[in-house]
Amino acid sequence: MYYISAASTISHQPTFQNVGFSTHIEPLQETSVLLTPDYKGFIDAGLLRRMSKILRMSVACAKDCIGQAGIDQPDAIIVGTGLGCLLDTEKFLNNVLTIEGLLPPTSFIQSTHNTMAGQISLSIGNHGYNMTHTQNSISFENALLDAMLLLEEGERNVLIGAADEAIDFLNVISEKLHLQLQHSLTSGASFFILSKQKNDHALACVKDTQAIGLVNDVTGQIKDFLAGNEMKVQDLDLVLLPGTSHHSDGLPASLASLNLEENKCVDYLRFSGIYPTASAFAMHLAADKMKADKSLKNVLICNTLIQSNLGLTLLQSVEA
Amino acid sequence: MDNLKEDLKKQIIEQLNLEDITPTDIADDALLFDDGGLGLDSIDALELIVLLEKYHGIQVVNPEEGKVAFRSIDTMAEYIRKRKS
Repeated sequence: MYYISAASTISHQPTFQNVGFSTHIEPLQETSVLLTPDYKGFIDAGLLRRMSKILRMSVACAKDCIGQAGIDQPDAIIVGTGLGCLLDTEKFLNNVLTIEGLLPPTSFIQSTHNTMAGQISLSIGNHGYNMTHTQNSISFENALLDAMLLLEEGERNVLIGAADEAIDFLNVISEKLHLQLQHSLTSGASFFILSKQKNDHALACVKDTQAIGLVNDVTGQIKDFLAGNEMKVQDLDLVLLPGTSHHSDGLPASLASLNLEENKCVDYLRFSGIYPTASAFAMHLAADKMKADKSLKNVLICNTLIQSNLGLTLLQSVEA
Repeated sequence: MDNLKEDLKKQIIEQLNLEDITPTDIADDALLFDDGGLGLDSIDALELIVLLEKYHGIQVVNPEEGKVAFRSIDTMAEYIRKRKS
């Protein structure tokens, strides 16, 4: 069992430093914007001036988590990201196209996917394990699995999170591809301290996680995953799903045969918007709900954001 | 007022994205890479090399030259005038 000792999210919802947000957030409006704190309270001005949106979100959430958990340093920093630092990538590519001669180095340096984990490490002076996972929509689950393996190997507190940022060009692409998106493309960062030892701060426990690429039988995989944890679908008190391809009964078509009770299902994309690592937002949403509602013992986050990928994360209440 | 030095201050603020700093906050003789001055670092040094080419058409090819030229606004202005003369 792995305890979530701290959680922090910056999103289009009032999630940051707002325990209990899950009880009063509303579905996103098309006009919603990213709700950001005053970053100067979290990031040194010398570093802040170079940081793009995704870096600011990630470092602020990471520092907030460390503060919540009451630890000096995490033993490891692990980040999942689907598309990485898009703003800096776009800026660098535009520089390549428009500038003759020397290119400014900052956007190039900060365009790599592992910049978030690196900047977090620099911001807190951490010299531990530092890893970035990028596997499209199941990047967060892979990062989570890495964190759990490290805890099994003896690490005590692992900072694990995920972040992605939206840029206008993503909307241009989705229009050109004629994607019928049911939710807006958004940005978000969610970070957690995962610990082997239970402490007073624990919000919930991660029982298990699995990331499956090129998945064929989604319902079969979910049943196998639950069976591996000695559970059945009926044991779940809540299922968080990305409602991208709804069946007529309100559930994703690929999950229709699971016979999930609709009143136990929540479409987390309605609250987070769409970004590759929105399942990290779902984990914070679930943990926050479990902290507030003690009747929620077993919660499954079923990440079917992309048809070919399946991410499964099983949370249990601390008391369970 | 030395227009070159004023222009340099504005260009540095823009190129390095120095938030909350105005040209009047930068003294002509303040050490750019010292915590008592602007507290710039090695990435900023690369940005200053790009700045000199972008705004003044000057390429810094000798790292030793840059070390001296980038000490302060005074030395940068002196370096630009020397290279252009």
